[in-house]
Amino acid sequence: MLDARDITVSFGRTTVLRDVSLQVRPGELVALCGPNGAGKSTLLAAMAGDFPPARGQIFIDGAVISTLAPAELARRRAVLEQSPSLSAGFSVGELLSLSIPRTVPPDRAAALIAQKLHAVGLADRIHDTCQILSGGQRHRAHLARVLVQLAAADTPGTGYLMLDEPTSSLDIAHQITTMRIARRAAREGAGVLVVLHDLNLAAAFADRVALMHAGRMVAEGAGAEVFTAGRLSAIYETEIAVEHADSRTPRILPVYSPDAHAGPDL
Amino acid sequence: MRFLTALLLSAVLLASGDARAAGPQRIVSAGGDITEIIYQLGAGDRVIGLDSTSNFPADASEKAQIGYIRNLAAEGILSLQPDLLIAAHDAGPPPAVEQLRAAGLRVEIAPKGDSVAGVQEKIRFVGTVLELPEQAEALALKLEEDMKASLEIAEANTERPRVIFVLNTADGAPLVGGTETSADAIIALAGGVNAAAGFEGYKPMSQEAIITAAPDVLLMMSQTVDRLGSIDVMLSRPEFQLTPAGRNRRHVAMEGILLFSFGPRLPQAVRELATALQQKDG
Amino acid sequence: MAVTTTLQGRAAGILGRRPLFGALVALLVLMAFAEVALGPVRLGPSDLLKVLIGEGERGPTAILLQIRLPRMVLGLAVGIGLALSGCALQGVLRNPLADPGLIGVTAGAAVGAVGVIVLGNFFVGDLPAVVRPYALPLGAFIGSTLVTGFVFSFSSRGGGTNIAMLILAGVAVNAIAGALIGAMVFISNDQQLRDLTFWSMGSIASGNWMTVTVTSVVAVASGLFLARMGRILDLFQLGERAAFHAGVDIEREKRRIALLTALSVGAVTAAAGPIGFIGLVAPHMARLIVGPAHRHVLPAAALIGGALILGADLMVRLAIPPTEPPIGLATSMIGGPFFLWLLMRRMRKAGGNA
Repeated sequence: MLDARDITVSFGRTTVLRDVSLQVRPGELVALCGPNGAGKSTLLAAMAGDFPPARGQIFIDGAVISTLAPAELARRRAVLEQSPSLSAGFSVGELLSLSIPRTVPPDRAAALIAQKLHAVGLADRIHDTCQILSGGQRHRAHLARVLVQLAAADTPGTGYLMLDEPTSSLDIAHQITTMRIARRAAREGAGVLVVLHDLNLAAAFADRVALMHAGRMVAEGAGAEVFTAGRLSAIYETEIAVEHADSRTPRILPVYSPDAHAGPDL
Repeated sequence: MRFLTALLLSAVLLASGDARAAGPQRIVSAGGDITEIIYQLGAGDRVIGLDSTSNFPADASEKAQIGYIRNLAAEGILSLQPDLLIAAHDAGPPPAVEQLRAAGLRVEIAPKGDSVAGVQEKIRFVGTVLELPEQAEALALKLEEDMKASLEIAEANTERPRVIFVLNTADGAPLVGGTETSADAIIALAGGVNAAAGFEGYKPMSQEAIITAAPDVLLMMSQTVDRLGSIDVMLSRPEFQLTPAGRNRRHVAMEGILLFSFGPRLPQAVRELATALQQKDG
Repeated sequence: MAVTTTLQGRAAGILGRRPLFGALVALLVLMAFAEVALGPVRLGPSDLLKVLIGEGERGPTAILLQIRLPRMVLGLAVGIGLALSGCALQGVLRNPLADPGLIGVTAGAAVGAVGVIVLGNFFVGDLPAVVRPYALPLGAFIGSTLVTGFVFSFSSRGGGTNIAMLILAGVAVNAIAGALIGAMVFISNDQQLRDLTFWSMGSIASGNWMTVTVTSVVAVASGLFLARMGRILDLFQLGERAAFHAGVDIEREKRRIALLTALSVGAVTAAAGPIGFIGLVAPHMARLIVGPAHRHVLPAAALIGGALILGADLMVRLAIPPTEPPIGLATSMIGGPFFLWLLMRRMRKAGGNA
């Protein structure tokens, strides 16, 4: 389990996270939602081991994250950043092979690469340089890289996958594909944490939803329980309706009122 | 007395006129003064390579060029197949000299000499190495004689004018010769006083310092003057206008190599400069 | 949008990389041989053989063993050290225009060397006689170490090594070094001025086996460590944060690269003076031939760097004998136009991607 317990994170004098707790268990997909500035990416970064919290502790399968060396951490969790970048002219295949340790035999490595490229729908682009791919394709290539990193790790268990807003720059079809891939990774045993802006994607794909506001965890649980009209309208400071077509998957419907005057946050 | 010496010198030179095959025959020379001495001893035809500071006499430009004396290329020199490298005291870099010796080349480094006695020592040194001792002795004596005459001219000038030597101007302040420079030495020999005696070496001098120094005469190298166009380019600068040199337009331009060679032509340089300093108007 | 296929794309795809590396090794060996066999003094094969078996005459033996061979060895060390350091810096800074001079190594070495040349009279006499002939390279090396150490500690104050601060500190330090050198130039006499001018143009004509050996050992040893950092440098291309996520201890590796670069560039600059462009140009040429993966680029750059330096040295030795222009001129003549071409290529690529 990836377990953040009562963590507080400050940058300088600003407290970004206040007594936040969150658990991600193997086999479940947890969506982390909330307004801009709520602290979602910071929480994901802290749980990825980027920096130690000012207070509280983060455990990964029982070990305190800050005690693990980067190489050891990389065997247990993989992170896809919000805007992955690549400063060299690698091909898609070369990009993925970066995530495979030298100890893995070449045929297994090739098989892994092919498998994950197939999963993201880029199997035929393996020899193309990443620079000629479209933005969305590049993003998918990085997603495949991150999947390869977890699959190639030789630790017991299937690790943790952490995706920071993986759908923000994708079209609807690719958003759905990406979330399906994340969900399949969870079904195959990984613990998956996804930061999402799109509440409907969260409601549709996540096993559990964690909702944050102003550095605190406001609500946690099934999508239907967490996403209520009153709560969402209060947190996002705009009118949001919620439809419960079936008991499991609520539909979040922001009220647009295009000709109303701009809200208080302007 | 001078006539007798000249006669003796001519006799000796005539006697050794037919080139005897003794002494080094393929000479590489580094250092303007050393090269001049070699030519004055009559061995100029034995020189096969020169450094970039050896510009006199004129046929020196036809010899192979070995570069700057302090940055010699060992293998380059060896490719000329010399049997002697004779160089002024500051030849370098030291590893190159070592490499030349290790390769079996005879390397002779002349002593340093900024005075009349020093130049004579250089002459005798070259003479010994080239196996022309009589010619060297004669040349050294002639130097002494000529020097006496030139110094007489210099001393005849009771004015003892204040002289400022400007090396060049790099768009900013003029670069002036202070103490411990060849300019300082030659000005003193020629009967003048270095107006810029407050510092060592060649340094940029501020306008106020030049005015305070109040030089009577501006001395420059003729090649610098040519480059500027005319000496008025310097004299008409505001700081010089406020000096006696500028007001009276007293200036001397002399060939750089002659002025600073500190070789066999030293008496000539002193004589020319002393004579020029005695002229009261520009 | 045109797809620029590199030589690597076509050639390596067809042939695999081994023949390419074989060709590079062969090129380097050829250059090394040429550096020893050719020169202003014509030495025939019989002369070379005689010296090899120890029965050479005095002249050819000195030329081969004391003039050309140390040049060749030092040239290799310089080329390898500069190329590997340049490659590692470009990798860790994720900037293809990075050059070892950025972190202040060259400026520090220059301050040290000029200091010895201009101020040497004051203290060289106090040094033990054994050390005195090495005062210049020692001073240069101490200078480069101090300056690089300062730049790195300055940019590491906030915990990790801040790359942006590193570059800015390097700029500031270069400026300060320039001022110090200017001050020393001001008080220098004619001879010292000439000496430091020639030093600053670079030369591998050291002729001192002790200097050559020490420099080569330091440069090659650091180079070997750098050459093994291929995968880590590749991971740095994802950005520091992503590299950390992928398992790289980014602070430790940055410090390691800094140390190894400072050592190897400091050593070769101390022995040969500042020689530009090799650290910039060799990695790029390598990338063009063997592709972007650092585990290929590093060794290829080392081979190319060595060949470039030896080629440049051949040029300056054979161009206008018996004089010898400084090697920095030849490397700038190769590097300058190549740099322009690089920039044009980048601009074209950026325009195409718009």
